Amino acid sequence: MAILDKGSPARDMSFSGMVNDERYRAVFYQIVVFGLIAWGGWYLVSNTSHNLASRGMSSGFGFLGNTAGFDIAWFIIPYDPRMSYGRVFLVGITNTLIVSLIAIVFTTVLGFIIGILRLSKNWLIAKLAAWYVELLRNTPLLLQILFWYLAVFSLLPRPRDSVSILEVFQLNNRGFYFPSPVPGELFWLTMLAVLIAIAGTYALNVWSNRRQAETGIRFPVLWPSLAILFLLPGLVFLASGTPLSFTYPVLQGFNFVGGTSVPPAFCALFVALVVYHSAFIGENVRAGIQSVSHGQTEASHSLGLKPTLTFRLVIIPQAMRAIIPPLISAWMNVVKNSSLAIAIGFPDLVAVFMQTSLNQSGHAIEIVAMVMAFYMVVSLTISAALNVYNKSVQLKER
Amino acid sequence: MANLDAADTTFRPKPNLPPPPNTVGAVGWMRKNLFSSVLNTLLTLGAMWLILSVAYTLFDWGVLKAVWVAENRRECLDRSPDGACWAGVIHWFNTFMYGRYPYAEQWRPNLGLVILILWMLPCWLPRVTGKIGIALSAVIIFPFLAGYLFAGGEKGLILQILVSAGIVTFITIWLHVLSCLLTGRSLPVHILGITGFTDKDDRLHKYPLIGAFGLALIVVLILQSGWEPPEVGTNLWGGLFLTLVISGVGITTALPSGVLLALGRRSRMPIIRVSCIAFIELFRSVPLITILFMAVTMMPLFLPETVTLNRLVQVIIAVCLFAAAYMAEIVRGGLQAIPKGQYEAAQSMGLNYWKMMALVVMPQALKLMIPNIVGNFIGLFKDTTLVSIIGLYDLLLMLKAVSQNPQWNGLYLEPFMFGTFVFFIFCFAMSTYSQHLERTLGSGQVRR
Repeated sequence: MAILDKGSPARDMSFSGMVNDERYRAVFYQIVVFGLIAWGGWYLVSNTSHNLASRGMSSGFGFLGNTAGFDIAWFIIPYDPRMSYGRVFLVGITNTLIVSLIAIVFTTVLGFIIGILRLSKNWLIAKLAAWYVELLRNTPLLLQILFWYLAVFSLLPRPRDSVSILEVFQLNNRGFYFPSPVPGELFWLTMLAVLIAIAGTYALNVWSNRRQAETGIRFPVLWPSLAILFLLPGLVFLASGTPLSFTYPVLQGFNFVGGTSVPPAFCALFVALVVYHSAFIGENVRAGIQSVSHGQTEASHSLGLKPTLTFRLVIIPQAMRAIIPPLISAWMNVVKNSSLAIAIGFPDLVAVFMQTSLNQSGHAIEIVAMVMAFYMVVSLTISAALNVYNKSVQLKER
Repeated sequence: MANLDAADTTFRPKPNLPPPPNTVGAVGWMRKNLFSSVLNTLLTLGAMWLILSVAYTLFDWGVLKAVWVAENRRECLDRSPDGACWAGVIHWFNTFMYGRYPYAEQWRPNLGLVILILWMLPCWLPRVTGKIGIALSAVIIFPFLAGYLFAGGEKGLILQILVSAGIVTFITIWLHVLSCLLTGRSLPVHILGITGFTDKDDRLHKYPLIGAFGLALIVVLILQSGWEPPEVGTNLWGGLFLTLVISGVGITTALPSGVLLALGRRSRMPIIRVSCIAFIELFRSVPLITILFMAVTMMPLFLPETVTLNRLVQVIIAVCLFAAAYMAEIVRGGLQAIPKGQYEAAQSMGLNYWKMMALVVMPQALKLMIPNIVGNFIGLFKDTTLVSIIGLYDLLLMLKAVSQNPQWNGLYLEPFMFGTFVFFIFCFAMSTYSQHLERTLGSGQVRR
């Protein structure tokens, strides 16, 4: 190749020479593509401005300050209908993020369990897990969401006959009720103790690893770590006079009062997202573990490592390299698929902003752009994090 | 020692003992795979209990206590309060399949499906030549024929020509297939023989073929001019039919546009590369539902007032853009997996860029990517259910509509189970077929 590059032919300036020269053709193609894109962009913009003018619609982001005037069924950050469209955007974002985050945590745990069950030596368990995966992967998520919403969570009994777990958690057709913590005055001391305990455990681990690397003597990290993690905050909590209480949901009239609650739509969306994506994550986990060659297991056994240690120290670290990238893209799919909430009326970003706000204010372009920008920011952030991680765990080849 | 026979001194092994009876056969298999330890035994028993109880509940609800014939949901509940009301599903079956498509015209979607199957069938028949051409014609020409068959109404000259071309192509393909199967020679050979061009120069061979096709086209054009099925507006299309139309168009356009985008993304020309990356990343990072909303709310603003697209076209455009972006990333993954030596070998053979891609790189890359491509098709097929959110009467919305009918108020579970079954059959068939393809096509890749 080097020889070719050095002796690249002189430019033939005749017409046929220019047509046959790849460099000129590249420039020509690019000019054509650029021209097409520019013309397409101009065509769309001119049409849009003409259409907006003929319909008497204004454009610009000024509408974000206007009063929204509609109610939102469920929110984390305070909201009332007198607030602005900008606030609606924020409420939508927080709702989307909160349901996605909780679903991501649970679906990852469930997905790992499914993946490990699929590799179980027990034939029946492995088959059961395989059918779980096949059934969930081969049916549309939207159908599953509607199923959970219409056929499960909406058919639950009235509040009076709630399904109650330990008399503390209440599940009925108005939603899921659970106690909410009320921190007392000195609760910050306990939180501080927790932070100190985490830092202490981390330091202990670093110290024991370094000592093992230097002297070869192992330090039993597990029990001291657990002791620090639980005893220190526990003692501080007791010493400062148990400054944490709960308000429990109590039936009053036709509904529950106290505690915190999420609506049935939230439950249905959450369960559907968790169950659906756990099937995909389970497959990733299975494929990741199987991608570690059997020679690794044999090598580790011949070094005298027990099966559990083999799994923990040899298989899992190598499998994680194959599991993490698809796992993160599954998380991204959870965030994106949470937008299906619109089908069951859970007020996520798409429902409150792209549907209700858009219908009311008519600012289609701005609203669509803002919603898309939000999802792009989320997914670009996640993929940037993924790239950093990939760099750090990649095989360091010379 | 001498009196001992030679035979007695040689070592004669006794025949092998049979393996212990509890390590072979069904018992051995069960001991090994189900009851190898206490924990495993407990797990097996637990799983069996779970399977049996779920199966029994389903069987009891769905078969033993089910109602198969009833006029409305009240009657179902009266007859069997805790059984399935399959009568509702049977009553609505036609709507699930065709939506609000007029009953008298439903032979048209059926005919379209039959034509498609017959069109594609030769690709799986032995001894048929030109399979790539047949598949390509199904992708390029069939949609116009099918589109007119489904929609009907008046047709302009261009549409008449396209429809006629579709009919002629279909007939040509089957004449060709029959001649291949019966005589072992392709249709062009026969035409050349009849017209007496066999002995002439190869360069002249195309003229009788084009002539024959043109003649057939004119004949069909005249014959079909009287054929004008009544118009069925796309707002009446629905059910599984609509789901298949949307996902079918998405799937067929996804692969070619995805290949082009992937090549663009790997191109050395900066403007092309950047615009491809921008397109792919934009459409991959936002949920499909936002793209559908964009299509429905913004497309009327983007286009001049004189042009109005109906909602189905808007949705199909959105689905195609979305599918192309996802397919592009899959194809790119396949392209990256092809070693550089293959590119260099193709270039040193004197192939130009397009020949290198079409003859050397793409066949290998696409073969590697079959599982992902089919996975993407399955995802797209499932994602078409989202069009119900913006008000197209696809299968899902039809399933949901049952419960809003006064006669069948609140009937969710049975239609959803039916829908789950339909989607599962389609997706499972696709994934099974892809595994089969992977085995047969990937045989060269398997390490022995």
